[in-house]
Amino acid sequence: MKPSSFFGGIRGKLISIFVLIKVVPLVLLAWFAWHATQQLGEDVSVKAGAMADSMLSSIKTIGKTVTDDSIRALDLRSREAIEALTTDTAKEIADFLYDRDRDIRMAATLEPSEATFQRFLSGRSRALHHHAAWKLAADEKSWVPEVPVTPTVNVTRPVLPDNAKDFHARPPEYLGEVEQRPLFVEMTYVDLSGQEKIKITSGNLTEKSLKNVVDRSNTFIKAETYFPELKKLKAGEIFVSDVIGAYVPTQAIGPYLPASLEKAGKPFTPEESAYAGTENPLGKRFRGIVRWAMPVVKNGQIAGYVTLALDHDHIRQFSDRLMPTEERYSPIADPIKGNYAFLWDYKNRSISHVRDYFIVGYDAKTGLPATPWLDESLYAEWQASGKPSDEFLAATPPFRDQNLKHKPAKALSQAGTVALDCRYLNFAPQCDGWNALTEHGGSGSFVIFFSGLWKLTTAAAIPYYTGQYGKTEQGFGFVTIGANVDEFHKAATETAGKINTLVVEKDSSFKTLRDEMLGDIEKNLTSTAIGLWGSTILMVLLVIGIAIWIANLMTSRITRMIDGIHAFQGGDRKRRLEAGSSDEMGELARSFNGMADSVEESFKRLEEAKEKAEEASRLKSAFLATVSHELRTPLNGILGFAELLQAELTEPEQQEYAGIIHRSGEHLLNLVTEILDLAKIESGEMTFNWVETLLTTFIDETVSVYRSTAEAKGLQFTVLLAADLPAQFRTDPTRLRQILNNLLSNAIKFTTQGSVTLAISRTANDLKFVVQDTGSGIPPESREIVFEKFKQLANFLTREHGGTGLGLAIVKQLTELMGGQVSLDSTPDLGSTFTIHLPLDNAHG
Amino acid sequence: MAERNALVVDDHPTNRLLAGALLKKLGWTVREAETGEIALSMASELAVQLVLLDISMPGLSGEETCTRLRALPSQQPMHILAYTAHAFPEDRQRLLAIGFDEVLVKPISRQRLEELIGNLSAAQPG
Repeated sequence: MKPSSFFGGIRGKLISIFVLIKVVPLVLLAWFAWHATQQLGEDVSVKAGAMADSMLSSIKTIGKTVTDDSIRALDLRSREAIEALTTDTAKEIADFLYDRDRDIRMAATLEPSEATFQRFLSGRSRALHHHAAWKLAADEKSWVPEVPVTPTVNVTRPVLPDNAKDFHARPPEYLGEVEQRPLFVEMTYVDLSGQEKIKITSGNLTEKSLKNVVDRSNTFIKAETYFPELKKLKAGEIFVSDVIGAYVPTQAIGPYLPASLEKAGKPFTPEESAYAGTENPLGKRFRGIVRWAMPVVKNGQIAGYVTLALDHDHIRQFSDRLMPTEERYSPIADPIKGNYAFLWDYKNRSISHVRDYFIVGYDAKTGLPATPWLDESLYAEWQASGKPSDEFLAATPPFRDQNLKHKPAKALSQAGTVALDCRYLNFAPQCDGWNALTEHGGSGSFVIFFSGLWKLTTAAAIPYYTGQYGKTEQGFGFVTIGANVDEFHKAATETAGKINTLVVEKDSSFKTLRDEMLGDIEKNLTSTAIGLWGSTILMVLLVIGIAIWIANLMTSRITRMIDGIHAFQGGDRKRRLEAGSSDEMGELARSFNGMADSVEESFKRLEEAKEKAEEASRLKSAFLATVSHELRTPLNGILGFAELLQAELTEPEQQEYAGIIHRSGEHLLNLVTEILDLAKIESGEMTFNWVETLLTTFIDETVSVYRSTAEAKGLQFTVLLAADLPAQFRTDPTRLRQILNNLLSNAIKFTTQGSVTLAISRTANDLKFVVQDTGSGIPPESREIVFEKFKQLANFLTREHGGTGLGLAIVKQLTELMGGQVSLDSTPDLGSTFTIHLPLDNAHG
Repeated sequence: MAERNALVVDDHPTNRLLAGALLKKLGWTVREAETGEIALSMASELAVQLVLLDISMPGLSGEETCTRLRALPSQQPMHILAYTAHAFPEDRQRLLAIGFDEVLVKPISRQRLEELIGNLSAAQPG
């Protein structure tokens, strides 16, 4: 079934409408539901994803905040602790130094004598701590203690449950092996001329012989110039010197190990090089003094001066053992880790350092200050100046453009003369920082990236203001503690690491969870979509099925009705429609059935009428045949014997009678023939026998009789054939001959003199037969009636010429039955022209 | 030439007489038969060259007779003419189809008869 015809039918339309009103909403509904579900899924996915992301981000943020806060808090706490340690240390040093003020005051009251001095000194000693022996490790890549000391916690009683929480015990702080060291290396009494009168020494740092200290070369390492200062002292005033000691150069900066020495092209003699904690535990120590002096008043007059040379190691002790870490104290400092304390004097010179080669000292041979470590540019300037370093530096502005971009002078580094004088240590900007913090007597800290580490560095002025140290608020100098910042917040960074690990784990687990959730949502969506669309398709199919069923139900009656009507139309006239129902369809069916009854009845009558007509026709034909036969049979005898008589009678009169009989018989025969022809034509019994006919032969055969008849009558008989005539044409020769016979016989009959002409020509579609005579002609008023039956002109003519009065009627009827036409053109007394047109392309053929 | 026998079959004596007279004038030996059955028995006994056979006859019809005549064992061809007053062209067609050689329509004329059997007549009548 074609779609157009499908939708053209009621059934198609019903199905379409049903489908349209049911399926479209269904599909729309399904689509909306699906769309909403999908959107929901997307929303859930997005929100879940966002939630997971935000949770993760929260965790990350919290982690980071916590870490940052922890680091910050720890840093701040550490800073506070270290700053406190720094200031405490500075305070301790100041207290210690003030104690030495008391010592010198006490000493000034003593009666100068070796014995009193001896007694004075012997009571003044202090514990110093040293690490035990260290040795080069077997791999020669580090120094290790010969006997490792591991302090252990010793808790001998059970910890009470109440105290068990965070019960934390430390072993006794181990600062090293204890050495009871006299505080002072020397105690002298100097007279007003500078001559040492009494000198008590301990150890062998200083010379034991009495000398005149006016001459610098007679002083400790030829570096002391204190006598002029003593002369300025009033009674009760105290002089305190700088830290004075011989500079200890190093053979290598950093760990003193065979490999590094070999690289520097120097022999491995750790004892010859400066001590440097764990970098060179065997090295040569910086040994220095700080000299206190006070006038000795006798009888109100300054009689001389008592001096006390403090062993510098006692000052160093405050910084050397200090660790700004959990360790708190160490028997040996580890310079590599960057956790250690330094001391600087009021001129910002290093007076205590883990690496002894960094402590500023004097050239023991000349007593002049050893050249400190300079940066390349300052070194170059100094070299260019040609002056001794102390002289050159005295004219150089301190803290000039200090920053990390400056590089240490290689020459000094290689020479191993690298004493730290912060004023000129321009590649170490922390010097400037420390000075900034302490120059007004305060303390503080900053963080600096130095030697590859972020270091917190603190500085606290040592509040000791005796003598020359009272000139600035910085006092004696300052303590700095360097601490590796990362150490402070190690716990926090560890926690951060843990948090990060956690975050990474959570991240992946969240992602997995989210992916799983998204997958689940996707799966749910898919199954929902399948369910939704599946059920929709099912519903649609169901609806279409129902639609078809209902449409069939509704249209099957119509279809049956149409089938019935078609069957009736096709000839099954007994077919009637079901008319059981009382609705419009039933009414329609009843109406149709009624109509069908009428039609059937009509057909029946028609059949009967037709049968009757056929019977009548048959009877008529039989009648005509019978009449013809029965009329001809007696005429056979009449004409035959009349002819015989005519031939056999000798008597002219009798012969004439026989002739009359014969002619009358012939006339009767003609009448019979023509009446029967006419009857046949008019009853529709006339049949034509169409055959291809040779034209010239046909004409010759037709005219031969008339030619002789006409000539016998003295008429000229002419046959004119056109040049373009077809050789043959389709016609019923018998009937055409009958037509021509009638016309020609009439023409000859009614022409007494002149000519009879048969002209045959063709027009576009016709063959034209023209029979022309020179007879009496036919008057115009009679031209129509000559073709009517029994309407002869001047009835006498019939009698005279023996016509039946039927010839032209037969001509007209036959011509018209053959699809042609006949016309007449006549002038009375001049003649008549009958023209027959017969179609060449004969529809009857 | 041997004897030329013509057989005129017609239930009507006048017609037999006319045809016989004309044929005799044309030199034929004429036998007459009133019915088809008689014609058949005569034709089987005698060598007949020409038969004028009426169509509408009581008993055996002309058509039937013609068919039977054609069925007879014969040494020479038999020329059978329908001798009938059935003058319609359709009749002529029908008769020629049955087996008649020609149709001689009543009323006959000597001229028409001569035309139809002229080729059969070798000798002119005396």
